[in-house]
Parts: sequence; C-alpha cells; structure tokens
Amino acid sequence: MSAVATFLTSTIGRKVLMALTGILLILFLVTHLAANLLILVDAEAYNAYSHALISNPLIYIAEAGLIALFVAHFASGILIYAQGRAARPSSYKDDRWAGGTSKKSFSSSTMILSGAFFLLFVPLHVWGFKFGTYYDAGNGIRDLHRLVVEEFQNPLLVAFYVVGMAILGLHMWHAFGSAFESLGVTQRDTLRRTGNVIAVVLAGGFMIIPLAIFFLGGGQ
Amino acid sequence: MENMTLNLRIWRQASDSDSGELVDYTVRNVSPDMSFLEVLDVVNDDIVKSGNEPVAYDYDCREGICGSCSLVINGVAHGPREATTACQLFMRHFSDGDTITVEPWRAKAFPVVKDLVVDRSAFDRIQAAGGYVSFDTGGACDANEILVPKEAADAAMDAAACIGCGACVAACKNASAELFVGAKVTQFALLPQGQGERDRRVLAMVEQMQEEGFGPCSNEGECQAVCPKEISVAHIQTLHREYTRASMRRIFGAG
Amino acid sequence: MTLENKVPEGPIESKWQQHKFNMSLVAPSNRRKYDIIVVGTGLAGASAAASLGEMGYNVAALTILDSPRRAHSIAAQGGINAAKNYKNDGDSVQRLFFDTVKGGDYRSREANVYRLAEVSVDIIDQCAAQGVPFAREYGGTLANRSFGGAQVSRTFYARGQTGQQLLLGAYSSLMRQVDRGQVKLFSRREMLDLVIADGAARGIIARNLVTGELERYAAHTVLLCTGGYGNVYYLSTNAGNSNVTAAWRCAKRGAYMANPCYVQIHPTCIPQSDEFQAKLTLMSESLRNDGRVWVPAQKGDSRPPQQIPESERDYFLERKYPSFGNLVPRDVASRNAKAVCDDGRGVGATGRAVYLDFSDAIERFGAKVIAERYGNLFQMYERITGTDVYTEKAMQIYPAVHYVMGGLWVDYNLMSNLPGLHVLGEANFSDHGANRLGASALMQGLADGYFVAPYTVADYLANAKLDPVDTDHPAFDEAERDTTARVDKLLAINGSKTVLEFHRDLGKIMWNKVGMSRTEAGLKEALGEVRTLRDEFWRDVKVVGKAADFNKELERAGRVADFLEFAEMLILDALHRKESCGGHFREESQTDEGEAQRDDQNYSYVAAWEFQGEGKEPTLHKEPLSFDFAQVKQRSYK
Repeated sequence: MSAVATFLTSTIGRKVLMALTGILLILFLVTHLAANLLILVDAEAYNAYSHALISNPLIYIAEAGLIALFVAHFASGILIYAQGRAARPSSYKDDRWAGGTSKKSFSSSTMILSGAFFLLFVPLHVWGFKFGTYYDAGNGIRDLHRLVVEEFQNPLLVAFYVVGMAILGLHMWHAFGSAFESLGVTQRDTLRRTGNVIAVVLAGGFMIIPLAIFFLGGGQ
Repeated sequence: MENMTLNLRIWRQASDSDSGELVDYTVRNVSPDMSFLEVLDVVNDDIVKSGNEPVAYDYDCREGICGSCSLVINGVAHGPREATTACQLFMRHFSDGDTITVEPWRAKAFPVVKDLVVDRSAFDRIQAAGGYVSFDTGGACDANEILVPKEAADAAMDAAACIGCGACVAACKNASAELFVGAKVTQFALLPQGQGERDRRVLAMVEQMQEEGFGPCSNEGECQAVCPKEISVAHIQTLHREYTRASMRRIFGAG
Repeated sequence: MTLENKVPEGPIESKWQQHKFNMSLVAPSNRRKYDIIVVGTGLAGASAAASLGEMGYNVAALTILDSPRRAHSIAAQGGINAAKNYKNDGDSVQRLFFDTVKGGDYRSREANVYRLAEVSVDIIDQCAAQGVPFAREYGGTLANRSFGGAQVSRTFYARGQTGQQLLLGAYSSLMRQVDRGQVKLFSRREMLDLVIADGAARGIIARNLVTGELERYAAHTVLLCTGGYGNVYYLSTNAGNSNVTAAWRCAKRGAYMANPCYVQIHPTCIPQSDEFQAKLTLMSESLRNDGRVWVPAQKGDSRPPQQIPESERDYFLERKYPSFGNLVPRDVASRNAKAVCDDGRGVGATGRAVYLDFSDAIERFGAKVIAERYGNLFQMYERITGTDVYTEKAMQIYPAVHYVMGGLWVDYNLMSNLPGLHVLGEANFSDHGANRLGASALMQGLADGYFVAPYTVADYLANAKLDPVDTDHPAFDEAERDTTARVDKLLAINGSKTVLEFHRDLGKIMWNKVGMSRTEAGLKEALGEVRTLRDEFWRDVKVVGKAADFNKELERAGRVADFLEFAEMLILDALHRKESCGGHFREESQTDEGEAQRDDQNYSYVAAWEFQGEGKEPTLHKEPLSFDFAQVKQRSYK
C-alpha cells in the first residue's frame, strides 16, 4: 500500500480526514448562515448575493468541492463507525457512562445518526431551493427570496427545518471540539466550550429564518 | 459503618467460544474495609465449598500497579471511584443491599479466556512493534551525559505511569487503544533517548494497534475518566500529531 | 557434594574484572546454537532474557502472568541504589559495598556484594539510555535521595514508581527481542518441574494456565528468576501469584536452598484490618525520610493522634537511636514497632500499629512540597484506609513480610549446585546476607540480569560438554509423569477445606511463631503445627475444577502444597541458627539493650539445605563466610 493510502485508511488518518472535512463544512455553514440571514434583512441584497454566487463560473468547482467534502465526511464517518462496531462486538449488560472528566454526551453517542440525517436533509434542501420554482426578479436575476418566503409558509416544512437544524446543533455539539482533538489540539475544555457555542449559534441562526418568515412574514 | 449484604451479578463464561451470562450471588457480612477483590474471594470460597467452579478473575499485586485487574463494575471499568483499580476499590463506597454487576473487559482485541479473565496480549504485541528505545545492554554512556530537563522528565513520567490494564479499551465504545498507545508514544517523543526512531515507532505501533482490531478514538474521553493512573487524553492528541507528522514525512520522503 | 563458591582469587576490587577476562566466550555466530530458558519476567528475568536475546541466544521466556510487564518488581516504590556519587557526598563503590555487607549483618558473600556495588553504576546508565523517566533536577541531571538508613544520597527514583519504570524499561527491551524473534514469550505458564538430563539442568515442565496442558521446554541452561517466597506467610506485601513453587521444585530435584530463615519484615506497611484481607500494602520507606515514628507514651491512650501533645508522645526510634533516628534499617525499625505494640502502646483498632507523623514535615516544607514527594503514597493510603493524611497528619503503619534474603544457593557465577541451573534476583540468596538495605532489591535484580548472567551463562555454555537433549528425553517423561501425578492427586482428594483456608492457617503459624521474633520453643511448635497442617492438607483439601482447564484453584493448591513443604525447611533453618542476625531475630540471642546479637564464632556461614525426601530432615551444608575486606562489627545505629 502506498504511504498515502496507508495514512488515509488508518484509524487515525480517517479521523484526521473526517476532522478536516468537518471543519471545512463548518466554515461553509458559517458563510451560508451569514448570507442566509440577508433574507431577513433585505430581499434585493439577498438576491444580488445569490446571483453573484451562481453566475460566477467558479461555482461549479466550488460545488464539486462541497460535494466532495460531504462525501468524504460521510464516508469516513461510516467507516469509522463500522470499525468501532467491529472492535466492540458485544456490549455490556450494564452499560453506563464513566462521568468525571469524560465528555461523552447524547451528542457524541448519536453522531452517526445525526450525521446520517443529513443524507436525507441535504438532497431535500437542495431540491427544494436550488432546483425549486424559478421566479424572475428582473435583469436576469433570480428571485430566490420569494421562493424562500413562499416555501416557509408551509408549517410542515418549517417544522422539518427547525428539527433539522436542532439535529445540526446536536451534531456540532461534539463535532467541533472532537475535530480539533483529532488534529492533535490539546486545549480540550476551551475547544469543547467553543464547539458548544458554535453549535448553538449555527443551529439557532438557521432556525430563525424559517421561524421568522412563518411567524413574522417574509421581510421586504 | 456496619457490615453489608450485597447481591453480585457476575459474568460467567466458560471460554471465548461459549456464550456467557450473568449469574447472581449473595454475599453476606461484607466489611467496609474489604477490597472488591476480597469480596470476590469470599464469593469464591463459598462456591468452592459447594463444589462448583469459582469465578475466574485476574489479580496479582492488589495495590493498583500491576494492571491485572480487568473488571467492569456497575458498567464502569474498575468501578465507580476515580483513579482507582478494582483491587483498590474498597467496599466503604457501596451500601448495604446494593446489587453490583461485574463483567469482563469487552473488546474484540481482548477475547475472554474465562469468566472475567481476558487475553490482553495484544498490548504486548503493540509494545513489541516499537514501544522501546533500540538499545543493547552495555553500550550506555554515563547517565548524566543525556540531560533531560525536569519538565520533560516529569511529563514523560506522567505518560509512563500507564499500568497497561486496558480499562481505556474497555471503556471506549469503539474499543480504541489510543490512550495506551498514545501514552507510550508520548513518553519516548518527550525524551532525547527516543528521538532516533520516533517516526518508525509511532508508525509501527499504530499499524500493530489496527492489526489487533482496536477501533478508532471517539474523542469522548471515557478512557481518561476510567484510567486508574489518570493518563490524559492529551496523549491521544499527541499520538495523532506524531502519527500524522510521521506519515507526512513518509509520504513526502522526508522521513 | 561440597559447596564450591567459585569466588575468584585476587583483591576484591579486581575480582570481577579479572574473572570477566578469564571466563570463556561464545562467539556471536555460535550463540544461535544455544537455547536458554528464562523462568520469570521480573527485573532479573526480563533483563536477562533481553540481554541474552540481544547477544544472539535463543531465549524462551516464561511468565506466570498474562504479560511480563505485571511481574511484582513493578510494585517497588522507593528507588534503586547506585554508587554514582553524583551528589559529591562521599559515596563510592567501596562505601556501597561496605554498607551492604554491614546492612546484611555480615552474612553475605563479600565478593558478590562488591560486584553488585561495582555494576550498580552501569545499571543507572543502562536504564537512563532505555528512556526510564528518572526524576531529574532542573538542569537535566539525575536527582537522588537518601533512602532507608543510608548516610549518602545514592538512590535514584522515578516518583514513587521506580520498580514500575525499571521493569517497563526491561520489559520494553524484552519485547524488542520478541519482535526480533530472539526471545519467544510464553505467558500464563507456570513452571512445575525442573528436568535434569545427564547431570545438568536441561529443561522444565510448565503448565499452560489457559488450557491446563503440561508443556516441555528443552534448553542448554535454565535461568530461574521467580522471585521470593514471602507468601509462605500468607499475608505479605508480595503479589497474589508470588510463590515458591518453581524454586521448591528445583530444591526437590537437588538444588540447595540457602538461608531460608532470612525474611525481611518491612516496617512501613498498612496494618491489617480484618480476616479476609488478602494482602498487605507497603508504603515506601522513603516516608521515613520526613515522617516521624511514635506511639503514645502511656498505655491505652486512645485519643486521636493530633490531640496527643508532644510531651505525651514517645518517638521511640529517635529516642533509642539518636544518630539514625527514624532511618534505622528495616529489621531494627520493625522489631521496635513490635516491641512497643507488645508493650500495649500500639494504636488503631487492633492495637497493632504505630504512627508515622508528618506534622513537622508539613509545617517545615508546606503541604505542597510534601504532596510532591509523597502525594501518590498519601493517595494510596487514603484509598485503602479511608483516612486523609493531609488532615490527619499521621498514618498508621505496622511491619509486614516484604522480601526474602534467602533463596536457592548459587556460586559466584549465579549457578546453583545443579549444573546448568542459574538463579537470579530475589530467587537466589546471594547478595543481601541476613537483611537487605532499602533500594537494593532493584539493584540486585538488574545487576544479575543485565551485567552478571550474560557473562557467566556464556562461560557455562562455552565450557559445559552438553549432548543434544530434546523433549523426548526420558528425563522429560519422568518429570511430566511426576507432575501429572501430583496434579491428579490434588484433584482427587475432594476434602472439605479450601486452599485459601489452608494458606491462611499456614500464614498464621508462620507469622506468629516464625515472624519478627523467634524462640526455640515457638519454632518447635511451629514445626509440629506445619507438619500437622500439611497432613491435613493432603487429606482434606478441596480442589474443584479440572486439570485441563483454566483453573486458578488448582494453581493455588499446588503453590500452597509447596509452601507447606518449604515452610518446614524455613523453620528448621531458623531453629538451627541460634544467633540473631539481620531479619532473623532469636530472642535467646540479644544484647542487654535488646539488639540482635550475632554469633560470628559459630554461625558465620551460609546454611544450604539439601532436600532429602518428603517427611525427611534435610541435610545441612555450610559455606563458610570470610570477611577479608569489610571489617566485621556489631551493627550499631545509635
């Protein structure tokens, strides 16, 4: 096996890959959230921003990169999960958490499930918005804002998004600190606190959009 | 404190190929000054008198340093007290009438030998793969010619305190051995004596660790929480750095 | 058979150097033709197996435990001595030699002790090069402390886990040889017989403790590194699996057992709390550097320690031994603790304990410094007793069996009277005389394994005319038959009393009558009681389970059976030695002040006992001791 393959298939290499892709995905989510909050502020600015984004030819490379990140993150997650199950084939009859300094949590125990949820969520999300109804805002600019506002009149969809973002927060609660630890950063408590803040901000930020639209109307 | 009556639910399993089960034993007159293993001795003495086979469990030093203890007590490796091996767990931490479940370490890499006894030779093989300074008897320079700053020596000692009991593996949902391996790798990474084969060591030990069937680190830190020597998960982070760096050097031909 | 100690001629400073030159070598290319069995993987065994493997011999290393790293050397806390004189306080090989001979109460073989002191410096270099994380000064040099009565700072340490770190160093070297294929490791194997073919030790029978199968191992020489027999007392600081079986089976095959009555009782152990207790825990002797030993001056004073004012305390060691104070040797400290308890001034629930007090030290250095020095010991004490030493300021301690100076007789080359059987570490009798100094056990184990056996074993192999012997040799058949018969016999009794109960009973006899202080009458009683108990054992022991299985009861039964035979030899040795020396205190032989009174006129010899058959008196062989270099004095620690 080549040195690269040896590294990437090692238990540590997989964790490193998952951490790196995870951190890049978090960065994506942060920019995604910042941009999306424009929905609540100014429809025109939001449409202009999304137009600038999709009319840039580099978008295809960026999208391909994003898909690659998702796939790599999911794949390493599933492989790591499978490896873990294989290493511990039988469970304790009386299975408890150690407590003390352990950071084991509901979040860390459900990473594979919260992660798997996005295998469902992401395609639906992309299908609903990127490939949703095309409204023209004039000057060849798509009125994505209108689509968003219309979609979030549907309480089921709002609920789906709120739950989805709660699951994102749940995933992020463990993910951020864990990712940096996998990369060898030792400031564990700081990392964990930062991760918790990021989880709340991301999940909360994304939730505000459907909730605000549903309850307060769509802004301008 | 009064003497207690306890209900023990102990895992009995004839061998790795057999399926096991929890069996109930009542033990009376347990003094709070008895250690957990001494309670098992009493249980066993009763079992032997009734003509049955006693519960097999590993023990040796009974002072928390040999690392033989391998009991999961009430779902936690080495039981409820922090920084304590099962042999140093005293019954004053339990109450009259308690039901206590006792199970062996569970991991693919630690097959059950019998009852509560598991085979931990995988750790020996990891050590054999690289957990040493390649140095033959007799060729040493004067000990004071290798200066080791106190901070480095102390930090290396923190890592070297590992007793190789395997509680870290038992506690981890992925049965990861990275705390054990990380502690050894860190010890030598910190000391001048270990520098010459630093990359080779970590690559070989991690490779062996995988071959033995230990899983990936979950970053939950259950291992640190149950470690009787309070070995820090910082050693796992060091392991990740050491392994990644050694791999990069191998990939880019610098190593 | 006469006892030839093979001590080389010449001045003591050059004996070992000259002997190394005179010894024959095995050329590197020939070493792979030799097979060596190493039984036991503690400091002595692991270091010997690793070193011999490095040299190119084929080594088979056996351990009774699941990993070599768990051998009981791991529990040694305090440190390891070496005559490095890094502290510029007047230490030298000469002084370590003299201290050891004196500490051993002039009952050790001078030449061996000198060699031990000589190679002590190499051990530290060796271990430092292995990456043993010794305590260091800020500048990076090695730190030292004074330990257990030494007036120089020559003890090297790794926190309170020196034994652990030295063993892990030796273990890592051993595992490196396992990886290279030079050493084959057999864990969970118990040696149950020695195989002698054509007059030389050529193999062993071992039981695979997982499957119960008996296995045959053949080799050109056997190194026995199986530790001491302290568990003949049932309660000791030894590990649960420490036993005399391997050594005793060698004795039954003709190897002499030397000075079995020399047993060290360690003064600073945690007192026994109840009947079920399975072991006693030692608290490092280093505690005596800062702790002060006392009992209430008045009998029956049951106030908590800190409520007893200074004026009503008796710091009995400081009072009786003004110059050494709390740092008197182990045997002296232990006997004095017993004396004050016998006097009714003992403390604690059982009245069999004395205080080791840290109030002065905490006041002088602050709790932080004391925590740095003894934190792990205080933690250990708290865990076991539930008492916090920082608030209580004092711990309770009492002596316990800790180490045995006696063991199989060996010559200067560490070979027993049976050709080809080498004995290393605590299992031999060689270096500590009648009492061992603190921090010298680790030194001896590693000296034997790293720096003595690699030379002397080569010399033996180069000179012995050994015909090929494999495991089909009739001697293996015979040894295996004997072993099988013994196992079957144990399983067939199906009596009513458990192995544990027999062991406890034996321990009580030994501790009460063959312990810290011995009398002729008591020893004779003990002898009778042990014989009765042994008969009862073979009549009424209950051993459950099968031979061909993982069966700890069977393991223990075999060991207790051997302890019951060996105990008799120990008692006979104690009975015949009518003097007091070191760890052997005969009440009939004491000075007016109650100190041990040696009788150099009549007892300046090594007592080597030859087994003559079960139920028969063993034969005594004497190896006279002469002290040509160390001046013989009555020990005084006033």
